[in-house]
Amino acid sequence: MHFFSQSFQYEHPWSHVIIGMWHKYPNSKCTHVVSVDTLDRSIDPVTGIIRTERVLGCKQKAPTWIVKLFGGSEDAFVREISFVDPATQNVTITSVNLSLSQFATCYEQIRYSPVSPNRTAFTQTAEVQARLALWRSAADRLEQWLVQRFEQNAQLGKSGFSDVLRNLWEERHQASP
Amino acid sequence: MSQSLSEECTPLKKEYDSCFNSWFEGYLEPAIVAGSTPEKRAEHSKRKADEFDAKCGKIWRQYKACVTQAVKDKGLDKLLEQARQENPLVDPIPPPPGSNSNK
Repeated sequence: MHFFSQSFQYEHPWSHVIIGMWHKYPNSKCTHVVSVDTLDRSIDPVTGIIRTERVLGCKQKAPTWIVKLFGGSEDAFVREISFVDPATQNVTITSVNLSLSQFATCYEQIRYSPVSPNRTAFTQTAEVQARLALWRSAADRLEQWLVQRFEQNAQLGKSGFSDVLRNLWEERHQASP
Repeated sequence: MSQSLSEECTPLKKEYDSCFNSWFEGYLEPAIVAGSTPEKRAEHSKRKADEFDAKCGKIWRQYKACVTQAVKDKGLDKLLEQARQENPLVDPIPPPPGSNSNK
């Protein structure tokens, strides 16, 4: 598992950052985010907490070896769930990749909380984890398949060579009586 | 404003996003103030949730139908279903221990 984290303070009131959050894309430095769609949104009528589920579409070139090994394409999609709680002035955003998720997951968590009337703390953590169980079972299946294929070929090799030897010596035998 | 993953849904998405954003800007700051007591908070939340539905409910349902189909067409529905099962994320994430935002 690999980790990433950073924290930072924006020099804007919390409410401005949170209003701005919905305007984050497109921006000229994040051209890899090409689409943003809301799939679900609910406003809790008691707590006032807004939960939003979105899908972000990204386009970013992957190294050739990754594309060759895992397939996939330039298009990658991410599921994002956010909670906006005005009463506690707390926002969390959790994101996880949908594309290539059978191989590895990148789990990101962002939090915005007020520091002072004009400052907002931003913290971001991410965990990247390959699905080892899956790797093991895939590796297992690959080994099994290789062994089976080897056995089949070994059988064919044995019987094929038997034929070759028989034909060769039968011919020679007949040619020189 | 960003695009939808399906070109066909982009106009609906933009209209919905504009509707939400304008509602949200009127929602957030009063909601912070109303958060001071549970009664005020509930009163404000209920009123604004109803207002949101009245203002944006129609375009939301149109956009949602479009994007739901687009998600299927892209083959993302199964991946989404799996992600939702693994991590439903239906409840807000509590603040980290030791944080002082205990309002």
